Amino acid sequence: MNRLAIGRRAALLSGVAAVAAPSVLRAQTDSIKIATLTPLTGAGGPYGPAMAKVAAAVVEEVNAAGGVLGRKVQLVSEDDQTNPDAGVRAARKLIDVDKVSAIMGTWASAVTTAVAPLCWESKTFLCTVSGADSITQLPHQGYLIRTQPNTVLQVTRCGEFLTSLGAKKTYTLVPQTPFAQRSIEILGEVTKKAGGTHGSQIYDDKKTTYRTEVDQAMRFGPDAIFCAGYTPDTIVLLKDLYRAGYKGKIIGQAYAINQKLIDQIGQPEVVEGVYTYAPSIAEGSGALERVKRMSGLANPDPYTSQVYDHVNLVLMAMAVAKDASGTAIKDNVRKVAQGSGKTVDNAVDGLKAIAAGEKVDYTGASGPCDFDDKGDILDCKFRYEQVKAGKATLVKVA
Amino acid sequence: MLNYLLFIATIGSIYALLALSLNLIWGGAGMVNLGLAGFFAVGAYASALVTTTGQAPILAGWALALVAGGAAGLVVVLATTRLREDYLAIVTLGFAEVVRLVASNEIWLTHGTDGISGIPGPWRAALGREYFNAAYLPILLVVLLAVFLLMRRIDRSPYGRALRAIREDAQVAQVAGKPVLRFKVQAFALSAAIAGLAGALYGHFTSYIAPDLFLPLITVYIFLAVASGGVGSPVGALVGAYLLMTLLESARFFVELIPAVTAVQRAALKELLIAVALILVLRLMPRGLLPERIPRAPLNQTGGKS
Amino acid sequence: MTLLLQALINGLVSGALLAVPAIGFTAMFAVLRFPNFSVSGVATLGAFSGYVAYGAGLQVAGSLAVAFAIAGAVGLFLDRVAHMPLVPQGALPAAIASIASGLVLENVVRLFFGNDLRGYDRPIARDMRIGDIRFSPQQLETMGIALAIMLAVFAALAFTRIGKAMRASADNPELAALKGIRPQRVAMMASFVGMGLVGIGGMLLGLDSSIDPLTGTRILLSIFAAAVLGGLGSAPGAVLGAFLIGIAEEMSVLAVGSAYRAAVGFFAILIVLSLRPRGLLGERAF
Repeated sequence: MNRLAIGRRAALLSGVAAVAAPSVLRAQTDSIKIATLTPLTGAGGPYGPAMAKVAAAVVEEVNAAGGVLGRKVQLVSEDDQTNPDAGVRAARKLIDVDKVSAIMGTWASAVTTAVAPLCWESKTFLCTVSGADSITQLPHQGYLIRTQPNTVLQVTRCGEFLTSLGAKKTYTLVPQTPFAQRSIEILGEVTKKAGGTHGSQIYDDKKTTYRTEVDQAMRFGPDAIFCAGYTPDTIVLLKDLYRAGYKGKIIGQAYAINQKLIDQIGQPEVVEGVYTYAPSIAEGSGALERVKRMSGLANPDPYTSQVYDHVNLVLMAMAVAKDASGTAIKDNVRKVAQGSGKTVDNAVDGLKAIAAGEKVDYTGASGPCDFDDKGDILDCKFRYEQVKAGKATLVKVA
Repeated sequence: MLNYLLFIATIGSIYALLALSLNLIWGGAGMVNLGLAGFFAVGAYASALVTTTGQAPILAGWALALVAGGAAGLVVVLATTRLREDYLAIVTLGFAEVVRLVASNEIWLTHGTDGISGIPGPWRAALGREYFNAAYLPILLVVLLAVFLLMRRIDRSPYGRALRAIREDAQVAQVAGKPVLRFKVQAFALSAAIAGLAGALYGHFTSYIAPDLFLPLITVYIFLAVASGGVGSPVGALVGAYLLMTLLESARFFVELIPAVTAVQRAALKELLIAVALILVLRLMPRGLLPERIPRAPLNQTGGKS
Repeated sequence: MTLLLQALINGLVSGALLAVPAIGFTAMFAVLRFPNFSVSGVATLGAFSGYVAYGAGLQVAGSLAVAFAIAGAVGLFLDRVAHMPLVPQGALPAAIASIASGLVLENVVRLFFGNDLRGYDRPIARDMRIGDIRFSPQQLETMGIALAIMLAVFAALAFTRIGKAMRASADNPELAALKGIRPQRVAMMASFVGMGLVGIGGMLLGLDSSIDPLTGTRILLSIFAAAVLGGLGSAPGAVLGAFLIGIAEEMSVLAVGSAYRAAVGFFAILIVLSLRPRGLLGERAF
């Protein structure tokens, strides 16, 4: 009886101590607190770390240049484990314990949808990279922006590009995600409008081989395949398509067919000629170069670029508002994201200009970053690339 | 900070309900239900659907969750009566996975991977978020207390003793005249009903459910909670669940103290810390923190101990 | 018809890869008497160990040996330290501890390697065709390795002294002990070899696709399902179960679509176990 009493007491005490101690350590009440909530473990694990890393790099640069409103910026990074329950618990801690004004980088649509009510109810600003259309339909009162184009925008452009290349039989291979059904519908519509036919298949993204799925796809006889999954399953899919002798066109999202995928597959023939697309950055914008430097990746994927934009927008909005609260960000983010003003592509320059009383217009690494009132990005140009000899080369911007 | 602690206590209480559910059939009848997440999901979806699209009152949703969970439990246990214990484990796990897949793919029914948002909470609009969170916990604790008292009642009753007899050796129990099958079916259905209720309570608290919530990981956590609290003891199940929640959240703060690691390394260290702590509890206290005390059967003989 | 035949062949290939870790899992169950779910972490560890060895210049055979050795050693360590001491409490506490160990291994790998997907630098070739059926030469090679390993395991079990000792111990521990077979030694052997096989399985899987900290977790359920289908404790059963699961999964893509793949294995098990409660080949040890 003694032993278990000690054991239980010790457990409770250590739990309480652990919760109390760090708040004593984090007594810098004067700093501005923002947070990233990205998938560092779980299915989204391949993406989260780079997102957190680039955010930390931006904050470091800003602090070195004097911070925001004369205060240091403190970044807290939590793991949502690609799971809505873990994401909600982490968000609750960020909001109530760390008292952050903004949460950035939520990736899985289920996580974003679960975390969003916590944010708008506590007036914390949420920046997300999730693509599900339903997210911006939530009653977020302006506390949410998303830098990822929604499904309608993305897939329509994808379809238009494919038909412009002369594709007559398109085929969508997509795992079961919130945008799977819509993607299939939209690509089907666009193809039919151009006089072609469309087939589709929803697959399980945890498989280690897609031979049978590829067989079924090839039976349709497509001349263009849209691989709408994420990097892990797309790697296997591309290998199996190559093995099956598929010779038609392949297109995928730039966040799936990224440099990591190309390097991992290794053999150039497998990815030769594969198209990728993503929202285009503005002409002359140095944002992408900065992201490459900060993330250490020669070809950062769109999610990393988006989080770079999140941090910049949040910090500049605070500067304009002269207030670091979530409501201030909500009311001022569009003032720095769009409209007239000096074009800036990073927070340090932007903060300097704002301090000097100028207006700014931020164009980011993931696109022009102009938002409608639901939080979606406005229509923008897309950048279409093709992998040639292991490197993504530009085809067109449209 | 208070908000956060209340929130964690609420989620912990829902885990505690699940732990009581598991303790009933594992500690009670010795049945391995690895499909806990599936019954959790069935209850959550039943209540969410009927209160959003169906516009039914919240209490009706909770009642339906109980019924739906129990019905699902009946189906599973009846389909698996011929299976041995080790095999029951994988079939129940399969059930949970099938539920999750159906929830993901049958979009017409469950909104698929988009999930169901806007699930109403009792007096949510009137109270506003801060007070709603604080008010939900007492409601939850009342339900938890009711279920706990029921579990304790069962535990100490002849029915509970019969279940434990079945756990120790089903053949002997059968020979002793206990209707083994009927008891097992009842226990399993009740356990599944409680898990379903827990699901509904979760959904109405967070206002959003999605298939990704119901991964086997939840089942794993509850098993770890019950094992560390002490299998067979309802109090042990409660202690285990709250201890688990404390561990899950305090690990977060512990790893913040580690310098010079990247975010992903910190996340890996957090998960590592939790898993190692659980192994340590299991190894050092194999019967759990509050081991089950088998109550003496009352003796009516003269000269016997009482 | 060709589609069915092709699915059958695809299933055989994936089943062969699944069989190696399934044998390890079921053999460990036969001797140690608890389902060891840390195979998810051990498979990942094997895949990464082999990856490091391969990158350092060892050929496939050498890397497989490294994967075997490291996975076996770590598995043995975990069994002795974390799992076996719990077996007297029952199979379930030990199984639960093994789930936690699996999480430990996954996160240790993540700590050192991050979440990035890595791959062996293996040539990817177009499939060969025989009529309308296509084969991947690389996958045939991997399958060949898997079959060779399986044969070696069965031969060892049948003909070597320690193999026979393992079978005797699994069949009837008390009698085996009476005959002088030391249960401690047999248990250690079972842990080491069983986990070694799981590690090889992880590497074979990685050879074909890519590896990340979640590699083993993705196949955990399939391994368990294959072993159960064939009858827990029966090595030939595990092989049969693995092939059947592989084939069922591929065929089901044609019938219900790929999204329900994971459910197929479970339904197959439910049906088979309802008809044959001890698994397809019963639970004869090996």
